[in-house]
Amino acid sequence: MLSQQLFSKTVFRCKIQVLTLILLVMASAACSQSTFEERQDRLLAVASQQPYKDFLIITAKLRTGVEVPSALSMLDSLTRDESIGGMFYAYGLIGAYLYNRDLLPDSLHRKIRRSYSERKMVRGDTENHWVMYYTGLYLAAQTWPNEDGAQWFNGKSSAENFKEAEAWLNFWIKLTATKGQGEFDSPTYFITFVPPMLILHDFAQDPVMKKKAQMMLDYLFADFAAEHLAGNYGGGHSRDYPQDIINPLTAHSTKWAWLYFGEPDVEPWSEARGKSRHRAWETVFGAVSSYRLPEIIRQIATDRSAPYVHTETKRVRNVIRFGEQKNPRVYKYTYMTSDYVLGSLQGGILQPIQQHTWDVTFVSDKPNNTLFTLHPFYSGKELAMFFPEEQKVLSDEVNRFHLVYTDPNKWNSSSPYEQTFQHKNALIVLYNIDKDAKHQHIDGFFPKTLDERVEDSSGWIFCKAGKTYIAFFTFKKYEWIEEEANWRWRSHDRQNGVVVEIGTEADYGAFDEFKKRFQQAKVEHQNFDTNLTVKYTAQDGVVMQFTYGGQRLLNGKPVDFASYKSFNGPFLQSEAGSGVLKMTYKNHTRILDFNRIAIEEKTNRK
Amino acid sequence: MKSHTDQKLTLKNLLVIGDTEMELAQKFIKKLFPRGFLIRVEYLMLLFIFASPLTARQSGKICVAVLFNSTKSNVASGDRYVGVFVREKDEAEWQSISNTNLFAFGISFSQHGATQRYYIAGGNGLHRSSDGGKSWKILTSWQTMEVLSVASDPVDSTVIYVATPYGIFKSTDDGTSWTEKMRGFKTWYTDEVIIDRRDRRTLYAATEEDLYRSTDGAENWSPLKVGAPGMRTIVQHPANFNIFLIGTEDHDVRVTLDNGKSWKAGVGMPATAIYAIHASSDGKEIYAGGFRSGVWRSEDMGQTWQQIWTAPEIEAIYSLLVDPADANHVMVGTNGKGIYESYDKGKTWKQAGLDGAHVKQIAFYPF
Repeated sequence: MLSQQLFSKTVFRCKIQVLTLILLVMASAACSQSTFEERQDRLLAVASQQPYKDFLIITAKLRTGVEVPSALSMLDSLTRDESIGGMFYAYGLIGAYLYNRDLLPDSLHRKIRRSYSERKMVRGDTENHWVMYYTGLYLAAQTWPNEDGAQWFNGKSSAENFKEAEAWLNFWIKLTATKGQGEFDSPTYFITFVPPMLILHDFAQDPVMKKKAQMMLDYLFADFAAEHLAGNYGGGHSRDYPQDIINPLTAHSTKWAWLYFGEPDVEPWSEARGKSRHRAWETVFGAVSSYRLPEIIRQIATDRSAPYVHTETKRVRNVIRFGEQKNPRVYKYTYMTSDYVLGSLQGGILQPIQQHTWDVTFVSDKPNNTLFTLHPFYSGKELAMFFPEEQKVLSDEVNRFHLVYTDPNKWNSSSPYEQTFQHKNALIVLYNIDKDAKHQHIDGFFPKTLDERVEDSSGWIFCKAGKTYIAFFTFKKYEWIEEEANWRWRSHDRQNGVVVEIGTEADYGAFDEFKKRFQQAKVEHQNFDTNLTVKYTAQDGVVMQFTYGGQRLLNGKPVDFASYKSFNGPFLQSEAGSGVLKMTYKNHTRILDFNRIAIEEKTNRK
Repeated sequence: MKSHTDQKLTLKNLLVIGDTEMELAQKFIKKLFPRGFLIRVEYLMLLFIFASPLTARQSGKICVAVLFNSTKSNVASGDRYVGVFVREKDEAEWQSISNTNLFAFGISFSQHGATQRYYIAGGNGLHRSSDGGKSWKILTSWQTMEVLSVASDPVDSTVIYVATPYGIFKSTDDGTSWTEKMRGFKTWYTDEVIIDRRDRRTLYAATEEDLYRSTDGAENWSPLKVGAPGMRTIVQHPANFNIFLIGTEDHDVRVTLDNGKSWKAGVGMPATAIYAIHASSDGKEIYAGGFRSGVWRSEDMGQTWQQIWTAPEIEAIYSLLVDPADANHVMVGTNGKGIYESYDKGKTWKQAGLDGAHVKQIAFYPF
């Protein structure tokens, strides 16, 4: 009788929970001014309804009480499936376990423990792989201490694994705070850095490591925030997938922007602006974590009341051969406005395979809200700079994993034959393609969702995208190739250049006025074939002179990349190598000091 | 790619008298005659030949290191052909003896006393098994990444060297800790490290820029000025220790007959990448293979070469092995096409399993 009553009560509670969730689901996307807590609940409600067998969906189901038996069955299956493992598994399993430990039966506790003995937690070969692997290993070794090597997949004891994972995490945090990430500002791989830091923050027993994880989360989100515009991750990117490059709001980083910054107002699972490449429910760990984004970072991410220049230095991932430095510096320049963000890396090979050197991304209700050019480069030698396998077969190998690597039509590429020079809203991109390069053309992405694309007799191509106006000039002839989502601008000259300047309705008024102004603009490139030099006078009167392989002159003065700081802009300041990041918003500052592992907050009362 | 086999206390090696073998023999003598009975080592060799207390211990097992299945992802588990596999010489089926999901670049064996060890140079570190492959432990930590080659000291079991994209690392405490050993190197990428058959403190390192030699246990290195960049593999001739053959990235085989004083290009071979070189146990026949090269053979210490086999479906040959007990039996490991073998010195070939795998090294079990 008693058990019947208990059963009835439980059923009643479940019904109430489900009803609440349904109501939450119904309270759909319309609430654009939602709070973080509302978005957390909404995310969990939607994620808990998903059928996918992964640790995030399982966590959502267990935390909301939706389909609990199904979630337990999924988790059980994931511990038994010997075909899976690797670094995603290593951190995902311990995350799901630690967030839901109290809800699991004893048999699952044992199976999960056994997974760290029997599954092969391969470490991988990239920065994001290592963050996931070592975070997973750190927390697993902490969870099951005092066990010998026979109980672990790699033959090392709990103490050895913990020590190794702790040492690497400390190394990575210090390296990132002083020299930046190698896989920096990646709309795709952002999801592989944040969730491990969330579980490290929530479950590291060592208060110092816990604090470091909190500071790394602040750091990662601040890094994103300064280049964030309405859900888009602006600026150049170390690694990105083509689909996310040509349709920025479908990138994984947008899902995190929605949860933590409250932008864009379209929910991540909506396909209003295109379908995401992956389901990417990693944000579920954000919805259950105790980490809270400092308000100052959200403000930095969303206040676009005044345009600003923001520069950064990052590092190239480990160069193992054909280079003089192990981690050369990467220089980023980003110009942010309320309508668009124009950003660039200096060019060259800064990351293999998936580099995105420059683009202008504009605020739009339509998909494919970006425009950029590239040289589609590939070579075994480029890959051999970073990977130890035989360079003559590497291109084909990479092609198997990143299906477009050798594709002449690919939309992500690093090229040793591309260099940029940016000043605020103006950008020069020069190409000097070697005669032996596999692909001998330059491509540009012009989305079909532009309101207008006009080829002017002056040689300029003018584009209108909402309130954003784009002036695009090239030195040589070109052709247009129509594709599903875009017009592909293609130049077949190995030596060529592009000048881009962006304006807005607020700057110029009508689009015709913008066009008129640029019809008079001076682009001096007549001797480009012999001296690879162009001189351009921007609308603000600043003269940009750029020689491929030579100097970048601004009103005759050379740009000195060596003086670049780790972060330099109105919101973020960090001296190169200092390990101290200062965030500023109005009269409020937040300082992350990675030397002292300290966070300092100040509010100046005026 | 790594055709070097470790020094080991076997009759086959003891027959080839060099400094290392002298040391091994002296140790053996000390064990036999702890009070310091004097005997010329050469006589001891003869004693071994006739009494054969250590009979030739090459088992019939063939061991291969497999990098990964070319059709699967590199971030998840579940690849069919990843790790280290063994088979009996006359069997067809390969059995995995390593952890799965291990990118295996090379394998090595050592025997010190009764302890037999297997080493795997792996993408996530140096793996070692002391129980015949039943269990494995990763010896290296995060600082020693992507181990491409391993060489263990033939006398002192606590001394181990590894080649990595970040240089040479040495352990003198049985793999517990590792120290970078790059004094004299201009660049850091190192594909392979081997120990000289005559002197265990002399090592050779194949770097991107040149072949380097150390005569003091990796403390200091000097370039040998091979004259072509991109060292891919090093082989010391099994019968004449002054002869070294180097496979290079774009300049085929380079050979020295005078212990590295002078180098010349192998004649007859087009300029290409050579990833694998291996010699028959008597050194009379040397085989080489690489990128779109087919298999080449030299019968004059690597000075001239003839192509003996080519197959359009095979893009690259990563590894080679001449059966030490049967010079007619030659095996090649390919990129993505598994193993091929010939029982008539390379006239005819057949696929021998692991199709789909990149086979980075083939070796015989030494015990």
